[in-house]
Amino acid sequence: MKGGALHHGLRVFWYLLLVFLYAPLAVVVFFSFNAINSSARFAGFSLTWYEQLFSNDEIIAALLNTVFLALTSSLIAIVIGGMLGYGFYRYRLRRLSWLIWLIYLPMVMPDIIFGIAEMIFFIAIDRSLGILAPGLGTMIIAHVTFQVPFVALLVNARLLALDPQLFEAVQDLYASPWQRVRFFLLPVLGPAIVSSFLLALTLSIDDFVISFFTAGPESTTLPIYIWSAIKKGVTPEVNAIATIMIGSVFVVALISLFVQRRPSA
Amino acid sequence: MSSLRRDTRFLLATTAPGVFFIVVFLVLPSAYLVAMAFLSNGAYGLPTPPLSLQSFRELAGFGFLGWSPGNLYTLIRSVWQSLLATAIVILIAYPAAYTISRQPARWRPLMLLAIVVPSWTNQVIRSVGWMNILAPGTPVSDLAVWIGLTEPQMGLFPSQFAVIVGLVYNFLPFMVLPLYAAFERLDTEQVEAARDLFASPVGVFRHAVFPQTLPGLMAGTVLVAIPAFGMYVVTELLGGGKATMIGNLVARQFVQASNWPLGAAGAIIMIVVTLIGLKVLRDLGRRLGGDREVLL
Repeated sequence: MKGGALHHGLRVFWYLLLVFLYAPLAVVVFFSFNAINSSARFAGFSLTWYEQLFSNDEIIAALLNTVFLALTSSLIAIVIGGMLGYGFYRYRLRRLSWLIWLIYLPMVMPDIIFGIAEMIFFIAIDRSLGILAPGLGTMIIAHVTFQVPFVALLVNARLLALDPQLFEAVQDLYASPWQRVRFFLLPVLGPAIVSSFLLALTLSIDDFVISFFTAGPESTTLPIYIWSAIKKGVTPEVNAIATIMIGSVFVVALISLFVQRRPSA
Repeated sequence: MSSLRRDTRFLLATTAPGVFFIVVFLVLPSAYLVAMAFLSNGAYGLPTPPLSLQSFRELAGFGFLGWSPGNLYTLIRSVWQSLLATAIVILIAYPAAYTISRQPARWRPLMLLAIVVPSWTNQVIRSVGWMNILAPGTPVSDLAVWIGLTEPQMGLFPSQFAVIVGLVYNFLPFMVLPLYAAFERLDTEQVEAARDLFASPVGVFRHAVFPQTLPGLMAGTVLVAIPAFGMYVVTELLGGGKATMIGNLVARQFVQASNWPLGAAGAIIMIVVTLIGLKVLRDLGRRLGGDREVLL
């Protein structure tokens, strides 16, 4: 029974893979409840690091910055990216391939170069014009720039999957542009808009490199805070902050599972 | 005529904001970065005229003390680490994607989600997790010491090994997803035909499965090898200076404000290597007979 052995082997492989994937996260969560500051020895359950975390103004500010940055940039990105995806769809027959290349650029460019290019650009603009000083504003701009292509591609893919006759029908019924958006585009694109919003959110929260280079002194986000804490060698609350971020990712994952399971999606 | 003009206006209105963002906040800054590489290094590491190729000379290793190959090693190591990580990712992703595609349809989305969810957590946090696991004194490190893989007190982190683990961990989902998509479309009749012709399991894979999953494999390789080459976070945190990649070299010139033109020259090399990598992978995909365009 060769097939049986293969099947059995794959099952074992699958569980080992899950261990590999979740062990680093589990370790972080586990040691965030450690009574002592160690990631090698567990000395009993305690919430010390969480107490410390919530009384640390710097961390609270970083948390608020992270959430504000993610929500604002994602909202701007779905509007701009959605329009871009729709424009591409409507005019896909025209010579737009150079534009598509432009869209791919942020996706294939190493993020370290992306971040550094934006940093020196913002600094130069700030020096000569006195605007765009590094801070939350520049971070939002940078995040929108890398979120827009993902949103545009998702919306575009959704439109391509539709029956082209739908568009003709809407036109035949003399819908005004606003009616078209309200009664046709938004309902049809709803799931794509929700999933691109979630994707934009996770892209923003996941990003460290681009935030790091475009941030100002007052706009530390949680990943930047964790980064500098590790670099300084001060790590007691890091596991606790990380656990909170891991927890929120799992909430988003559950929401996305729910959205995908809906029959309309 | 007027309808064509209205169309053009509509096209401009829908695409202009997105194109504006990418041109103004990505293309222009990149052009500025590229230009910076041809300036001289002034006081405080800031670029100043005159134009020169000094930073490229410096990047190639020509300094006060004659030639040194350090930067060249970094470049070669970046390419090597990226290829090694990609190879390991492929070895793990193939059976993973196959396993998922063999399950009942209702389990598959959940299994895919299980693969993807860890990658939604921040890169920095994932690296912290591996630091916790591989640090000296942890069970995994003790095991490595016991086997004789590493010196006592050293642990598995920081090391080149830790960097490779971090890279594989980071990029695994980007290989599993396109491979899974390929397995899902797999024409099973070809596989059965190969079996009927008494092909060995290896033969079945080589002649019936591999050609069909090649487009997925090529797409995954682009998504893994290219960003792995430019990696910054994993190498900086898990390598501890022992496995620096070119991204770290470039960033150091800017963060510690030692030499912006040198950093910019490094950035140009990164972009050039990235583009060469994309071209090589694309040509390879065509030569091997991938029936779909890979990403570009």
